[in-house]
Amino acid sequence: MRKKAILEKGSKLFFFLCALFSIGAVLFICYFIFANAIPAIRQVGLWEFLSGASWQPNNVPQEFGIFNMIVGSVYVTAGAIVIGVPIGLLGAIYLAKFCPKRIYPVLKQAVSLLAGIPSIIYGFFGMMVIVPFILENFEGNGNSVLAASIVLGIMILPTIISISETSLRAVPKSYEEGALALGATREESAFKVILPAAKSGVVTSIVLGIGRAIGETMAVVMVAGNSNILPSSIFKSVRTLTANIVLEMSYASGLHYDALIATGAVLFVFILLLNMALGLLTSKKRA
Amino acid sequence: MKLAIKHLKDQLRIYRRKPLSLVLFLLLNLAMLLTIASLIFVIGYIFVNGVSHLTPELVFGKYSSDNPSMSFAIVTTVILVIVALLLAAPLSIFCAIYLTEYAKRGNKIVKVIRLATETLAGIPSIVYGLFGSIFFGTVLGWGYSILTGACTVAIMVLPVIIRSTEESILSVPDSYREGSYGLGASKLRTVFKIVLPSAMPGILSAVILSVGRIVGETAALIFTLGSVAKMPGSLLDSSRTLAVHMYISTRDGGMAGRNTAFATGVILVSIVLVINLLASYLAKKVSGGKTDGE
Amino acid sequence: MKKMLSLATMAILAISVLAGCGGSGDSSTGSGTAGGSFNSAKEITVISREASSGTRGAFDELMGLIEKSGNSEVNKLFSEAVIASSTDEVPAKVEVDKYAIGYTSIGAVNDSVKALKVDGVEATEENVKNGTYKVSRPFIIASKGEVSGIAADFIQYATSTQGQEIVKSLGFVTIDGAKEYTAPSTALSGKLTLSGSTSTEKVIEKLREEYVKLNPGVSIEVTYNGSGAGIKDAQEGKSQLALSSRELKDEEKAALTPTVFANDGIAVIVNKDNTTTEMTTDQIKKIFTGETRTWDKV
Repeated sequence: MRKKAILEKGSKLFFFLCALFSIGAVLFICYFIFANAIPAIRQVGLWEFLSGASWQPNNVPQEFGIFNMIVGSVYVTAGAIVIGVPIGLLGAIYLAKFCPKRIYPVLKQAVSLLAGIPSIIYGFFGMMVIVPFILENFEGNGNSVLAASIVLGIMILPTIISISETSLRAVPKSYEEGALALGATREESAFKVILPAAKSGVVTSIVLGIGRAIGETMAVVMVAGNSNILPSSIFKSVRTLTANIVLEMSYASGLHYDALIATGAVLFVFILLLNMALGLLTSKKRA
Repeated sequence: MKLAIKHLKDQLRIYRRKPLSLVLFLLLNLAMLLTIASLIFVIGYIFVNGVSHLTPELVFGKYSSDNPSMSFAIVTTVILVIVALLLAAPLSIFCAIYLTEYAKRGNKIVKVIRLATETLAGIPSIVYGLFGSIFFGTVLGWGYSILTGACTVAIMVLPVIIRSTEESILSVPDSYREGSYGLGASKLRTVFKIVLPSAMPGILSAVILSVGRIVGETAALIFTLGSVAKMPGSLLDSSRTLAVHMYISTRDGGMAGRNTAFATGVILVSIVLVINLLASYLAKKVSGGKTDGE
Repeated sequence: MKKMLSLATMAILAISVLAGCGGSGDSSTGSGTAGGSFNSAKEITVISREASSGTRGAFDELMGLIEKSGNSEVNKLFSEAVIASSTDEVPAKVEVDKYAIGYTSIGAVNDSVKALKVDGVEATEENVKNGTYKVSRPFIIASKGEVSGIAADFIQYATSTQGQEIVKSLGFVTIDGAKEYTAPSTALSGKLTLSGSTSTEKVIEKLREEYVKLNPGVSIEVTYNGSGAGIKDAQEGKSQLALSSRELKDEEKAALTPTVFANDGIAVIVNKDNTTTEMTTDQIKKIFTGETRTWDKV
């Protein structure tokens, strides 16, 4: 009997330790990223690092400024939101309220497949199809903010659709019935009654979409052109924080290496801020 | 049929009165259609261009400068997935068991664990790559290797498995547990003999989805697994997964490389297709065959 | 019913959207390569390489893109230049963009792009070998101090007549004074690690394959991560040999011993539809620093 009790206690402790692992992992990641980043940022100067427009690891003296890349990341993410959110949101409303029962499982499967396709495939597709298309039909050389935004816009669709759909479905039926009884069409009820009621879920989906877009690497580096400039139009080339890391990491050393880790740290801070915003949103919903 | 036509007429009459509703209706359809069209276009494009380059030589042949075969990459992908899952699956399933079966509601620690898992889920793969290369690669001294890559992606898929396992454990009816306790079974026994088996299809579907994530991963692997084009001899060797092989091929191989990339893309997309269908089949089993539509 | 209507609209929209997509797909796959007019008033797309590339290092040096004054060195590359991350990506990008200009190893030039004459000299192997084509650089294997065993033997193989045959067959320029290689009488075994220039990949891969055939006990692991990184790796002992596609700098020469095993010209390439056939070093410099922005101003 005693042996059994020990086993029970022991297993509970074991499960608990396993559960603590994720906390450990987060702390480890934070520690190792920031421990490498902070000395580099201190050496370059926080302000110079964040506001400098010149990134020249081969110059003497070296210059490390990531301002253009921060703006670049914001641009392509904003572009992805402009493209992805309206389509995703409308798609979610369609799936939640207008979809014929028979094709629903097929569409649902398609959306989850869209989420499962590797980013390298999206990047390759963008490089082979979207970039030449922009080159041919618009100005510039195709490697552009627009190309990156389109690719990312497609990539965040499943996030927006599935989370928004869940929250649209969670709106009580009585809301819709009330609207219909007052003579609204189904479209009016969906847009004016159900959508506002599902607002917090929709916002959550957008925040998660932003997170996915800003952190995406491979797909962006293949279509964005990666020039370190402040793009003056959507047809100009752009370098994001993630692209900067993946382009230069494999051969960097010394301060250059640490400056790239610091680039990652800035990205990490962005993500943490987004997560905090998300936490606030969901806790508000619960309250 | 007659009834359907009458309904159609009614609907059209409503739309004539409220044209905005018609516009909205069309927009909704258009949006869904764009989504599906982009999926079909991406997959179709890869398949149409890739299938013709998919020769047995290229898939199974030995890698050389004349034949950029993906055989070694397939082997590496399989090894990487197995090692990563051996690390991640037990850990995250135990974590989910603690969160659902043992932890008290509103417990502070549980809140922190949840927050940590959510944070892990939000971290971009490139940051995992940086961390993996610093910690496993440099601090632990494993360099570019399968082990470094596997540990990195293992942490990356933790939140995926934890969350879905939690959900499927929660969907096991309480009556099962009560029945088991009623028969005098201990908590541990109940968890392993009753709860886990009932939740198994859901857990499996989560594990399979995480396989998809690992197979498709590139950014976290180029700095941890490296990119040596060689059949790995041990876990401490560097190699490429299919996705990394595809990336390097688009970058380095010129026209021939692009063809290799297309062919690798076909294999990659096929794997993802199978994985997704399998996962949704298992997930359907959990919900007792009913879909959650309407 | 509602659903019927929905299905019907879906079908109609599906046809129109897919038709649109199909159309765009066709036009994009044929873009750039499909002849057509070359509008010289259009902006030039400048394509360069990431900072550690040996090709870029050599090109910047030869074209005078690096401005030195006292202790400082400033790279004057046009900031809007598209950055390609490997030797083969440059011709791939030039192939689809009519207004692009880039540079790559002569060995990587294929029929899909056009190599320009520089200062009146054609970019060919002979012209590199006889010294008339100036835009060239050596391929170097560098080692830390005296080498022995497999590393020394591999260098010997690379510079042998057999090794030089491979160099020639891949379109690179051979070195003089090669001797025949014979595998050592006591069979070598072990692992050799190399890292460095992506430009040398084709030659090194072939050399590696043939070398391993002659010395079955040896395994060779190569990481192609750029000349700069390879040199660092060898200095820090992360790899035994470094591969460089540019001359070593003075401070690098202090730590490493270079052996030239091939020479390579850097071809300046443009799209096939481009009407330009020839440029001077100065014109190229002006394009790559962003002074010249359109083709008619060249």
